Amino acid sequence: MRIAFSLAILCVAAFYTSVAFGGLPFLSSAGRLGPGFFPRIIGLSLVAFTLYNLYFDLKRRNREEPLTPFWSTTLVVALLSALFIVGLELLGGLLAMMAFMLVSLFVLNRRQPVVNALISIFLPIGIYVVFSVWLRAGLPEGLLPLPI
Amino acid sequence: MDIFDNLLLGLAVALQPINIVYLLIGTMVGMFVGIIPGFGPSAGLAILLPVTFGMEPTGAVMMLAAIYYGSMYGGTITSILLNTPGESATVASTFDGYPLAQQGRAGPALVMQAVASFIGGTIGVILITLLAPLFAQVARSFGPPEFFMLIMMGLLMLVVMIGENWRLGVISTLIGFALGTVGVDLETGSQRFTFGSAELIEGIDFIPIAIGLFGLGELYYSFYEGLHAKGSGGIIQYQKEKRFWPDLRDWIDTRFAMLRGSLLGFVIGVLPGAGATIASLMAYSVEKAASKTPERFGKGMMAGLAGPEAANNAASSGAMVPLLTLGIPGSGSTAVLLAAFLLWGLQPGPLLMAQNPEFAWGLIASMYLGNVALLAINIFAIPLFVLMIRLPYRILAPGVILICTIGTYAVHGSIIEVWLMFIAGLVGFLMKLYGFSPAATVLALVLGPMAEETLRQTLTISRGSAMIFIERGVSLTILLVMVAIVLAAAALRLSRTRARAAGSAPAVGS
Amino acid sequence: MRRRTLVLSVLALASGLAVGPAFAQSYPNERLNVTIAFGPGGGNDILSRTLVQILEKHKLYPKDIAVTNRAGGSGAVGWGYVFNQKGNPYHISTTSGSFVTTPLQANTPWKPTSFTPVALLATDDLVLLVNGKSGYKDIKDFIEKARTKPPSIGGMGAVNVDFIVPKVLSEKANFKFEYVSFNKMGELNTALLSNSLDAAMGNPAEILGLVASGDMKALAYSGKKTPDSLKGVPTLQEAGYDVGISMPRGLILPPDAPKAAQEWWIATMKKVVATPEWKEYITKNNLTENIIYGDEFNGFLDRTSNGFATVLRASGAIK
Repeated sequence: MRIAFSLAILCVAAFYTSVAFGGLPFLSSAGRLGPGFFPRIIGLSLVAFTLYNLYFDLKRRNREEPLTPFWSTTLVVALLSALFIVGLELLGGLLAMMAFMLVSLFVLNRRQPVVNALISIFLPIGIYVVFSVWLRAGLPEGLLPLPI
Repeated sequence: MDIFDNLLLGLAVALQPINIVYLLIGTMVGMFVGIIPGFGPSAGLAILLPVTFGMEPTGAVMMLAAIYYGSMYGGTITSILLNTPGESATVASTFDGYPLAQQGRAGPALVMQAVASFIGGTIGVILITLLAPLFAQVARSFGPPEFFMLIMMGLLMLVVMIGENWRLGVISTLIGFALGTVGVDLETGSQRFTFGSAELIEGIDFIPIAIGLFGLGELYYSFYEGLHAKGSGGIIQYQKEKRFWPDLRDWIDTRFAMLRGSLLGFVIGVLPGAGATIASLMAYSVEKAASKTPERFGKGMMAGLAGPEAANNAASSGAMVPLLTLGIPGSGSTAVLLAAFLLWGLQPGPLLMAQNPEFAWGLIASMYLGNVALLAINIFAIPLFVLMIRLPYRILAPGVILICTIGTYAVHGSIIEVWLMFIAGLVGFLMKLYGFSPAATVLALVLGPMAEETLRQTLTISRGSAMIFIERGVSLTILLVMVAIVLAAAALRLSRTRARAAGSAPAVGS
Repeated sequence: MRRRTLVLSVLALASGLAVGPAFAQSYPNERLNVTIAFGPGGGNDILSRTLVQILEKHKLYPKDIAVTNRAGGSGAVGWGYVFNQKGNPYHISTTSGSFVTTPLQANTPWKPTSFTPVALLATDDLVLLVNGKSGYKDIKDFIEKARTKPPSIGGMGAVNVDFIVPKVLSEKANFKFEYVSFNKMGELNTALLSNSLDAAMGNPAEILGLVASGDMKALAYSGKKTPDSLKGVPTLQEAGYDVGISMPRGLILPPDAPKAAQEWWIATMKKVVATPEWKEYITKNNLTENIIYGDEFNGFLDRTSNGFATVLRASGAIK
């Protein structure tokens, strides 16, 4: 996993560097530092350091700590937070918040259904009031034709 | 005495009942807005500005200013409890604030940050009262070369902060720099890494990255560590037998940290630009350097929280100096305050204080009262926050995700930034897991573009010659201070290693 | 909110196209949606909210008015939203400099001229500033010295009127200069005060105090008529150099809005600009009043956009 993460950084860094060299001039037309000056330096150093780091990772690859037993829950929570964002776009702020809270709490806290239901209703309403009404910040409005 | 008369005049204005009401509303709104992840002072002010349309100017500006410095108090609360800084000036407060909370000292840490904020804010206002015209001279001597030097100083502090794992620290910093180059190039106007997307023209914002890397990343990490399965222990191992108030040792440990932080914060806060962020970073580094136990920093040192906290609040007072004496905003938040001045037909500039003494001094006087009110509100509210984090993590965590996501969305109303926050959350989790430094990434994201801009501005002005940094007095001074810091740090390290080699107790005195 | 207006927009489009005269009589009979393409507190926000205040106070709009800030992508998000309300006469938005510059920079589906123009109300113009202690006597003196020693001139952003005005001026007056781009007002001002720059382009409202105290000196104004607060400062035109580039503060409807709606708004804006509140807005914000209606406004946008594109292409800022 550690190596995979290092490799991922390396790929992004390589892409960044190639764009910096491909499209951004090093010096401007007036002969000053151009838009590509710093990106090229940053990109090259990032690639170099990631490679250097990868070398250490490979050397120590036998000593990597095993995953904790909670990795699957972590994955589920991450997935839920992504689904929440999709929900914001589809259902709009208030409904997506309620749905997210309800599902997450029933996944994580199965034993207290009443508490879960109460939190899932009142917390989103509270947040809705604070943001939409009081701060006038506006929450996402869903795309689906729902009656709220 | 002139200043005394002015202050009395100001107090008379600030103590009018209606203004006290506005001030109290402002402090509470500020506290509250600061607590919401994503809502730093500038977002809160911009959103609440329209509410004040039609109010009487002095009261309205007192209220807006209170929202501004009040949110600096609130902003640290999430830094300590959830490891989520709401803005770049409170990143340094997470370094020791969050470890303190993890050790069950959330109560003392929160009280300490409130007191440090109060001391920083109050010393800041005292300095405004006495020395505003003097500091205005400092602010107006800062052009691009001086800013570049100042930002270099900030980056130097970043190096101090990275500390042990320098390899991963450098990669983290470079990632921040790389993110900072996205958007329209300020000098030439050409686009970098935007791939034609209008959303990316303005670059990658600090808020989604910070909330993702810190808030969400920390949350995923807590799940990975199995915090949710630990029953009612809560996010933090808060034990009842531990005390709510800081103990005597905490006060003794931090007495100079607060003073140093306040003075440093004010002076740097006066300078437009990255004031509060650089100030809090420097205050942290200074405390670490001055400490007898620098190795305990980052593991829950009270001084590592008190210093930066005093500094960022003093900096927010300091930022009022160029605003009041020159009509120049030093940050996004003071720019909104400036817009408010204009809205009410006040003419910001060097003559503002002379032409509208009731307004200017009323505002200054109100800042004394506001800081007292904020300290009181904080002390009363802290037990509530401590109560909140005693909820079982499996119940608290979804609420945190909710607030982080909605907070990120609400700042600019952009769903793209919410996705950015989510991706930053995944990356933040992996960074934390493998020992990278998310703090270095977000600070580099803030400081990198400033460094690039000011350097290129300077070189355009000097037509390519780097001599300009030495020719200008102020810039040369900062350069010399930096060299002195580096030399002093090297000497300090050398003497410590020698002391250790000689077998004596680690780093006595120095 | 958005869902409902989507449905309504279809209805409105149908009714607008099918029954013209009946529509003209019944317009407006629904809630008006004002889209502000930037966050609260900016120039666009203040203009929109001032307009709404005037419409409400003088009862010029018979139904409710809903104001929404849709910020993001330098206006691309907000104006993109209005663009998507094709034919719907119940959406309006105000314009600013980014209305011209953003489509030049990004792949927006719209251009400034894609919308149904109502009116240009005013222009935002700039002051050419120098340090109060500098030796420059006036604009003539400045240009003469500039011809022998190219000055550095600071402004906000590279794809902005701050760059284009001095660029066009330098071409007409035959001098060279180094442009230094800033992204924060405060840093630009201190750069001039600290003698880092020779000159800067500034927004009148934000620098009046510094001019009044003598810290800065205003040499010339880029608009058609100098605001009262800068009395005595010549316009560039008066100095003999017609730059003719300004940031449009105007009002637009979505593309293909019914003719009757456009006419209704033109008639209404004629009433708005006669109110004392409007006059106050112009003076308070130091704008140049410059009113043109309907298709002429589109012509203005087209000329401005082309002028920008030519200068920016030459400088390499856009392709």
